[in-house]
Amino acid sequence: MTRILLHTRLDDCLAAWRASGYSVLAPSKSHELTRFNEVQHASDMALDLVLPERTIKDHFFPQTEPLIRYRIKKHEIDTEEMVPPELKRIFFGVRPCDASGLAIDDPLFGWDYKDEYWFRRRGNSVIVTIACTSADDFCMCTSVQLSPDSTKGSDVMLTPLKDGRGWQVLALTDRGNALLETIPSILQESDAEPAPPASVPVKFDIDKVTAWLADPASFESHFWKEISQRCIGCASCTFLCPTCHCFDIQDEGDTYSGIRRKNWDSCSFAMFTMHTSGHNPRNTQSTRWRQRIMHKFNYYRGKFDVNSCSGCGRCTRQCPVDMGITETLQSISNLPR
Amino acid sequence: MGIQEQYRNEAAELLSSGAVKLVIGYGEGSTSDRRRPVFIRSADETARLVLDANCIANLSGYLVPEGLLSDGKSVAVFLKPDGIRSVNILAAEAQVNPDQVVILGFDIDGGQASPLPGRKATDFAPLIESQKSTGLSTELQQEADQLELMSATDRFEYWNQQFSKCIKCYACRQVCPMCYCRRCIVDVNQPQWVNTSSHTLGNFEWNIVRAFHLAGRCVACGGCDRACPVNIPLRLINHRMSKEALDAFDHFAGESADQKPVLATFRQDDPETFIL
Ligand code: SF4
Ligand code: SF4
Ligand code: SF4
Repeated sequence: MTRILLHTRLDDCLAAWRASGYSVLAPSKSHELTRFNEVQHASDMALDLVLPERTIKDHFFPQTEPLIRYRIKKHEIDTEEMVPPELKRIFFGVRPCDASGLAIDDPLFGWDYKDEYWFRRRGNSVIVTIACTSADDFCMCTSVQLSPDSTKGSDVMLTPLKDGRGWQVLALTDRGNALLETIPSILQESDAEPAPPASVPVKFDIDKVTAWLADPASFESHFWKEISQRCIGCASCTFLCPTCHCFDIQDEGDTYSGIRRKNWDSCSFAMFTMHTSGHNPRNTQSTRWRQRIMHKFNYYRGKFDVNSCSGCGRCTRQCPVDMGITETLQSISNLPR
Repeated sequence: MGIQEQYRNEAAELLSSGAVKLVIGYGEGSTSDRRRPVFIRSADETARLVLDANCIANLSGYLVPEGLLSDGKSVAVFLKPDGIRSVNILAAEAQVNPDQVVILGFDIDGGQASPLPGRKATDFAPLIESQKSTGLSTELQQEADQLELMSATDRFEYWNQQFSKCIKCYACRQVCPMCYCRRCIVDVNQPQWVNTSSHTLGNFEWNIVRAFHLAGRCVACGGCDRACPVNIPLRLINHRMSKEALDAFDHFAGESADQKPVLATFRQDDPETFIL
C-alpha cells in the first residue's frame, strides 16, 4: 500500500497548501509561452507537457536580479542591500530533469561563497516532481546518468498511476514530509499500480565522452571547429538550460545613483570573457562552444563530481540551427579512437 | 530528376570545377522534419545535401562572417526568394560582393520545393518585382489587423506582456542576415548606450531598437520569429515596419543591389521638413 493523490483532489490540495501559507507554481501556458506560473486551480496547470519551455531555474536565479541600491554622495556612498523575500513556494509538476538542475547547481552557488540570493529562494521552496511517462525526441536524461523517474533535487515524488486517476506520492526529504503533513486527509492509501516510466533511449556513451574531454590533446582538436560551424552565437541554449549559471554584474543608473544587478550571461556571446584590453581568450565561436561542453562535462565534473547537464534536451529542442549538446556528445562518443 | 538530385549534381560540379570553394546548404537534422545548415567543401560530400519543403531557414547570414569572401573566391548558397532579397540588401550595404555569390534558388509551394532559374542575384529581379506587386503577406496582415483593432492601451499591454517574456538571448539578432554589425549597439559598453538587463523596460529598449534597425531591411524570412525561444511574435513588428516602408516610400526590401537603404537616404522632394 502506498499513498496516492487523485486528480479530483488536486484542487483541495491547492486550497490546503494556500491555507498553510504557500503559493503554488506549476507549468501553465500564458501569453503563448509554457512556464512556471502561480496557479489557483488544477485546471490552470498544463501537466501533460513533456516539459515547459522555460525551466524552474528562472525562479531561483532570475534573468536579472537587483543586488544593491547605491547613491554616491560627496564623501561617502550609501548602499542598501536588496535581498529577495523568503517566500514559501511549492513547485508542482516539475520534471525530474529540471529538479535535478537545481541540485546540480547547489554546490556551485554554495561553494566558496554562499549565494544568498539562490539559497534564500531554495530554502523555502518545495519541489514536487512528477515522474515522466512520456518523452520526446530530444529528451536525453538517461544519457547523463539520470532517468525519467530520477529523484535528484525533489522533495516529493509523484508517480502517475497506471489507471490515470492520480499519482503515487512519496516524500523524499524533511521538507517533503512537512508538505504532506498539510494534506493528510486528502491523500489516501491504495495499491493502485504505478505507470511505467517513459522509455528514453541512451544517445551517447558519457564515459567515452568524459574520457575524451579530459584528454589534454582534445582541447586543440579540429573537432570543435567542425561541430560548431553553424553555431550563430545566440544564448538560446544557455538561457533555457536548467543548469547554466553564468552571470555578469552590471551597474544600472546615472552618475550618482543606481542599482547593481546580476544578469544572466552566456558563453555563446562574443562579449563573454572579453577583456578590457580587447583581448578575448575565446575569440571564435568554436572556442566558445568548446567552453560550454568542457565546462559541463569536464571542469564541472572535476570540481563537483556531477555533469552540469540534466538531459532536458532544451538546448537542441530550441536551437535555431539544430545544434545542441546531444549532437556534439554523440559525435564525440563516435570519434575514432 | 528531383530538385534535390539536380542541385546535388550542380553543387558537385561547382565544387569540382573550382567555380566555388564552398556550398552552403541544408542537411538532415536531428528529427525527420528538421533541416540544419551544412557547409560542403568537396564534390564527394554533396550527398549530404537535402532539399525539400522543410528547408525554410534563410542561409544568407552565413555569407557575412569576416574573411569568408575576402579571398575573392565564390560561394554557392541555397536560397529561397526571401534569401535572395537579403543578398541584395547585403550587396547594397557593401557587406557582400554579389559577383561572388552563386545562388541555388528554390521556392516552396504546396509542400514541395521547386527550382528557380538563374544563378546570380540579378537573374531574379523579375521574380522579386512580381513579389513586390503582390504586396506583403496577407496572412501577416490579417494577424496585424487584429492588433490594430485594439485600443492603444490594450495594444501597449499586449506588447508589454510579450516583451516581458524576452530573455535577451539575442537569437533574433544572431539568426537574422540583416543583423551583421560586428558590435551591436546593445553590446557597446563604453559608453553603455543600452542597459544589458532583461527587465521589461530593457526588453522594450532592445526590441524597439531592433525594429527600427530592421525597418525597410527585413525580408520577412521569419527566422527571428522561429528562433525566439519565448515565442514573441516578432513577425508582427517587422511586418508593421515593412508596411510603413512600402506605403510611405514604395520601398520593398531587397528589390535590387542598387536599392538605397530607406533610413539612410533623403529625397529632395520629401514632404517632411524634418528628418530624424
Ligand atoms: S545542456 Fe542542454 S540538455 Fe543539458 S540541461 Fe542544459 S539545456 Fe538541458
Ligand atoms: S529571440 Fe526573443 S527572447 Fe531572445 S532576444 Fe530576441 S526577442 Fe528576446
Ligand atoms: S528581422 Fe527576422 S524576418 Fe526579418 S530578415 Fe531578420 S530574421 Fe528574417
